[in-house]
Amino acid sequence: MARMKFLCDADRCIECNACVTACKNENEVPWGINRRRVVTINDGKPGERSVSMACMHCTDAPCQAVCPVNAFYTTADAVVLHSKDICIGCGYCFYACPFGAPQYPRVGNFGSRGKMDKCTYCAGGPETDNTAAEYAKYGANRLAQGKLPLCAEMCSTKSLLAGDGEIIAQIYKERVMKRGYGSGAWGWQTAYHETIKV
Amino acid sequence: MTRLLARLGHILGAAVFLFTLVAVSPGWAQQPSKDNPNASAVQEQQLLRELNRVQGLVSIPDTKEGTLIQPQGREWRHFHEVTLRWIGAIALIGMVVLLAVFYLVRGSIKLASGRAGRTILRFDTLERTVHWMTAVSFIILGISGLNITFGKPLLLPLMDPQTFTNISEALKYAHNYLSFPFTIGILFMLVMWLKDNIPDSTDVEWLKEGGGIVGHAHPPARRFNAGQKGIFWIVVLGGAAMAITGYVLMFPFYAGLNIANMQAAQIVHGVVGVLFIAVILAHIYIGTLGMEGAFEAMGSGEVDLNWAKEHHSLWVKEEMGKTGSSAHTRMTPAE
Amino acid sequence: MLIKRTEREARRGKLSAALAGRSGGGLDRRTFLRRSGVVAGGLATLGAMPLVSVRRAEAGPPAPAGQQVTIRKSICTHCSVGCTVTAEVANGVWIGQEPSWDSPINRGSHCAKGASVRELVSGDRRLKYPMKLEGGRWTRIKWDQAMDEIGKKILDVREKSGPDAVYWLGSAKMTNEGSYLFRKLGAFWGTNNTDHQARICHSTTVTGVANTWGYGAMTNSYTDIRNAKTQIIMGGNPAEAHPVSLQHLLEGAEMKKANVIVIDPRLTRTAAHATEYVRLRPGTDIPVLYGIMWHVLKNGWEDKEFIKQRVYGFEDAKKEIEKWTPDEVERVSGVPGAQLERVAKMFATEKPATLIWCMGQTQHTVGTANVRASCMALLLTGNVGAPGTGANIFRGHDNVQGATDVGLDIVTLPFYYGLVEGAWKHWSRVWEVDYDWLVSRFQDKKIMETSGIPLTRWFDATILPKDQVGQSDNVKAMFVQGHASNSITRIPESLKGLEKLELLVVADPHPTTWASLAVQAGRKDNMYLLPVATQFECKGSRVASNRALQWGEQIVKPIFESKDDLEVMYLTAKALGFADKMFKNIKVTNNLPEAEDILREMNRGSWSTGYCGQSPERLKVHMANQKDFDMITQRATTGPAKGDYYGLPWPCWGSPEVKHPGTPLLYNTNLAAMDGGGVFRARFGVERNGVNLLAEGSYSVGSELKDGYPEFTYGVLKKLGWDSELTPAELAKIQQIGGDKADTVSWSTDLSGGIQRIALKHGCIPYGNGKARMNAWNLPDPIPVHREPIYSPRVDLIQKYPTLPDAKQFRLPNIGFTVQKAAVDKGIAKQFPLILSSGRLVEYEGGGEETRSNKWLAELQQDMFIEINPADAADRGIKDGGWVWVTGTENSSKAKMKALVTERVGKGVAWMPFHFGGWFGGVDLRKNYPEGADPIVLGESANTITSYGYDPATGMQEPKVTLCQISAA
Repeated sequence: MARMKFLCDADRCIECNACVTACKNENEVPWGINRRRVVTINDGKPGERSVSMACMHCTDAPCQAVCPVNAFYTTADAVVLHSKDICIGCGYCFYACPFGAPQYPRVGNFGSRGKMDKCTYCAGGPETDNTAAEYAKYGANRLAQGKLPLCAEMCSTKSLLAGDGEIIAQIYKERVMKRGYGSGAWGWQTAYHETIKV
Repeated sequence: MTRLLARLGHILGAAVFLFTLVAVSPGWAQQPSKDNPNASAVQEQQLLRELNRVQGLVSIPDTKEGTLIQPQGREWRHFHEVTLRWIGAIALIGMVVLLAVFYLVRGSIKLASGRAGRTILRFDTLERTVHWMTAVSFIILGISGLNITFGKPLLLPLMDPQTFTNISEALKYAHNYLSFPFTIGILFMLVMWLKDNIPDSTDVEWLKEGGGIVGHAHPPARRFNAGQKGIFWIVVLGGAAMAITGYVLMFPFYAGLNIANMQAAQIVHGVVGVLFIAVILAHIYIGTLGMEGAFEAMGSGEVDLNWAKEHHSLWVKEEMGKTGSSAHTRMTPAE
Repeated sequence: MLIKRTEREARRGKLSAALAGRSGGGLDRRTFLRRSGVVAGGLATLGAMPLVSVRRAEAGPPAPAGQQVTIRKSICTHCSVGCTVTAEVANGVWIGQEPSWDSPINRGSHCAKGASVRELVSGDRRLKYPMKLEGGRWTRIKWDQAMDEIGKKILDVREKSGPDAVYWLGSAKMTNEGSYLFRKLGAFWGTNNTDHQARICHSTTVTGVANTWGYGAMTNSYTDIRNAKTQIIMGGNPAEAHPVSLQHLLEGAEMKKANVIVIDPRLTRTAAHATEYVRLRPGTDIPVLYGIMWHVLKNGWEDKEFIKQRVYGFEDAKKEIEKWTPDEVERVSGVPGAQLERVAKMFATEKPATLIWCMGQTQHTVGTANVRASCMALLLTGNVGAPGTGANIFRGHDNVQGATDVGLDIVTLPFYYGLVEGAWKHWSRVWEVDYDWLVSRFQDKKIMETSGIPLTRWFDATILPKDQVGQSDNVKAMFVQGHASNSITRIPESLKGLEKLELLVVADPHPTTWASLAVQAGRKDNMYLLPVATQFECKGSRVASNRALQWGEQIVKPIFESKDDLEVMYLTAKALGFADKMFKNIKVTNNLPEAEDILREMNRGSWSTGYCGQSPERLKVHMANQKDFDMITQRATTGPAKGDYYGLPWPCWGSPEVKHPGTPLLYNTNLAAMDGGGVFRARFGVERNGVNLLAEGSYSVGSELKDGYPEFTYGVLKKLGWDSELTPAELAKIQQIGGDKADTVSWSTDLSGGIQRIALKHGCIPYGNGKARMNAWNLPDPIPVHREPIYSPRVDLIQKYPTLPDAKQFRLPNIGFTVQKAAVDKGIAKQFPLILSSGRLVEYEGGGEETRSNKWLAELQQDMFIEINPADAADRGIKDGGWVWVTGTENSSKAKMKALVTERVGKGVAWMPFHFGGWFGGVDLRKNYPEGADPIVLGESANTITSYGYDPATGMQEPKVTLCQISAA
């Protein structure tokens, strides 16, 4: 059974933000909602590394656990999706998420939040696959078309990998062995309770 | 509770670590040579070990997105899903059980000297309006709050998910909006009743005698006895805590707050919330079932003189000694 | 809801099954791996993945019911890497982008800009209609009216002030056909005042590199860098400027365990991935390069054989190199000798080594000298002309290499023929117009053969007293098609020019800062904005930095009322009365000239650069069969283009029928001429002062001439006895061209192609086999000399390393020396103690109006900022993220922006991105744009602060080093 994961090889990531705009493009994500972002650590100093981050589609996802209305579900490919019909915009998933993935449109008064939006692994939502209704709420459903998330597919340096966890772990492992260094599979310990040992 | 304290300590610790990050910028490996940026690359495991979270820079204005990894989310989840439910369950069920036992043992506290037939004004219209505004808000806030914590295991299995969402969403909005009357109510209470709630020597005596709840004595009290003063301070301080943390949650990440602050706010809000509800359950009990004649104080605002004499002897004396219009008593029965 | 989820899981189950190889339908394992980022060598055990065609894509918004989704391919317009853009179009609407897996250049990848190009043609913020400035207000007008009025006014200017009073500012963001046509328009109008962005990005590279070994282009390619064992990136930040190239740099470095050395004043995103970072003071590239060469010579690491066979002027260069002892290098540049020795050792001994540069070297008053010094370092170590070596010059725009090649320039006709009489005669033959008629279009024959005014100085040509401008009158009218105004230095000065112009026409997809600054300058009328389509709405070829041509399809029709560049040029030529002559051999349908025909005309005249073999048909075959090309060698291993190099990188000799495969690596003697081999071009004669300028004992594989040889002419063929191989038709053509001097008809002027054909047949390169020059005697500094920037903080060094004396260049005085001296006398360096440099952000391009109008990009960089070192910030009480005023050395210039306090820049150095515009001196100019066409993000332009300074050889501006002061706002 495939277990979909993301892996950002920080030794390749150059913060070009292709993943960010590819996501915007593919899913028509509105201004202010950042399903994916690139964070740079030690900016401007030797040792600087950038990591592209979105929903990691965690094993035993914390967002899913804390959701007061059970809006989340995990697919057979281990993609963590949610229903915007069920979501009440309480914001709890953001507190639980180790990766800052959930995003909320600002609606109405105060800091009041609308329905949560997050990376869907380009796998849409509960609506019928590849329908206009699904696209309007969640964006594209590439997975159902046999494609991987566009962010990873368009990554400028092939830093961001998407796909079956075992395969991308193998790719990363081979890379690290070949080049002799690797700053780690960022987020894997937290998301999947595992690291890639090289 | 120890877990909670540990958790809060943790957040504090993280904040201190964060400060060190800003101040001394550690975070790259052995540093073989400053001329080889690649070899000095930051390592995830090392950052997590040293700082317990990974923080960086983003170009988008949403600076909270600079937090790359915060494993604390998983701990917060444990708090929310396990710890808070235990605290809540123990506090609420415990209080209900306690009150039931008390009721069975003690029964309703009757007026020892019967009704005098004369009443005395205990709470004027403004006071009662404020009380009930706050109380109604509190009840809805409490229910909607409990729904967030307990709705999923208790209510959701009983209904269609969409219905549950509709209810929960309505309650979320109610929770947000009712925070305002609640907060205003608390502020009014503070202003109206502060002077009568400053602890003094009579409270010591009252407490020594167990307030008459345990046993049958009627220790003297001014307008508010020590128990009521306790409620007052719990309401004011608890209310303040709820309001502050609540508004933090309502306006998330404003004023430079970070994810750790938000989690802390939610933890305080949750724990104080359930404890607050438990205390208020006791307050409701004593004001209704638990004591004859007590409800009238907030009902019509006028209490039976005998009730007043039994429970607030010093206050009645003070009131009777006054000459102003506020010190009047009604000779006609309250009914 | 729950029921639906179950359904969904069942569907997901199918995909998983597919992944496990159990059933079809989803994606097979190989496709999956490729989509997971596995490429040749990525997952060593799997090796190279055969390219599998991917199921027809249907992502993005689902197509409207019943609409067919078609795939169209074009080329990204945002840099010179040449990424293929794969577009899904339904019902005439561009509904989605898919990765271009088959492209041997980008292999599916994009950067932030490439991944968001679809937004350019949905175009909320595009200029939608022709606009005219009337009484200071923008008014919508019709195209007919606009062209009519513009034509009349331009003719009016010609009447009063002569043809040179009209400046034709073109673009590297047109198709190659567009750039060529624009140059032709200038020629038919009668001026050499035609320029484009190369002036401000790589004009110094073109001049410096061409003067070293023949052609001024990237010698190798982005993908070839994978072969390098040592990569030096000096004066470039490809991680932000050319992100997809980093795929090749980083992956190559990983596979080869290569040394990646970044030499830059900033610890850039590129430097973060380097194995060695060298921080130098801005403007001291020559000392650092000489410092490296000093260690090479000291340790005997130079490639003696290579130098003997293929290099001229080594002894002269050695004298200059020996002056740069480690102590002096450190004193001037701040780089310690030990580090440079380490770099020198890697560069000279861990070969192949390549030197990569971009605008960090070129945008200086010493730009030409900088790149010359870089070439010398390559020659000294024998790192040219083989895989993994070379001068890998990263150009800026999608077609800037092409626009340079087609001579959209002030110093040459298309394809580097220059401006001499012979060049004009050559092109009059190609264009089939009378040479005398061409002469009659100009003020006189002398100015026809004189270089034009560089775009960096258009406003000087407008505002300087008439007698200081070397033409009959000042520049009175600007026709700008696709060029930003805020990417030109000295904006406060340009405002004076904007006010004074009699006519300003801007043809662009966006109003650009020409509009906002002109209004700010007080312009009330005589200004027109013409909406032009983006390149995704046009078809044609684009030339990537590696000299490869790629044919882009039209993805969608021009939106709103915008028109194709070619149509605008046709309408202009028509309004000016020479359209019939100009389009004599080009089919025009509904005012739109056919791109294919234009390329064919280029093929017929471009023998000098080997642009003659790239017919539109061949290019289209390449685009349709991208999957057949190998990523590293760029050669097709199968299919209809088998044997060709991708995009037929020039020189692609002979006519298309000769089937030359293109030249992926220039000057590579390890390949035969017909396999893309080459030698250094014998461009500078056969000997100088008794010294042989031809190669000695070095030649390309299979050459029948086993030594150096001059360029081929009919006369040379005769001497070799090869002239008998010419067909009668070829001979007749040569004689027709040469008349009584047929012997002088050369490989570059022979329109029959016979001379090239015969040279190739004998394994020879048509341009001859010469030596590369360390001593380029025709340049202002034949051997590069360090010269301090005009505004240098190191006043103590100016005495020893002053800039060149004042002189008249390109029709205008260059008073750099006077300005430098005045700055020293006035103590400018004390008042403005910080060095100010500028550069690129990944999200934006060039002047940035286009990318700042793209909501997906604009969101990522919302504020103009300046990078400042924490120590300098602390001295000034500046906080990270706080507002600051930056003040400059000239015109009391000031600019307001946010501070980014970072160690990325060294102490004493500040840095700004150059893409912002729409603010001036702290004032927001949003109201100056036509309504609804203002970019989403506006900000202060870096060039508000930049100052005087021009390269004497090219007129390049100096945006990389000036001085400034910063204070908290």
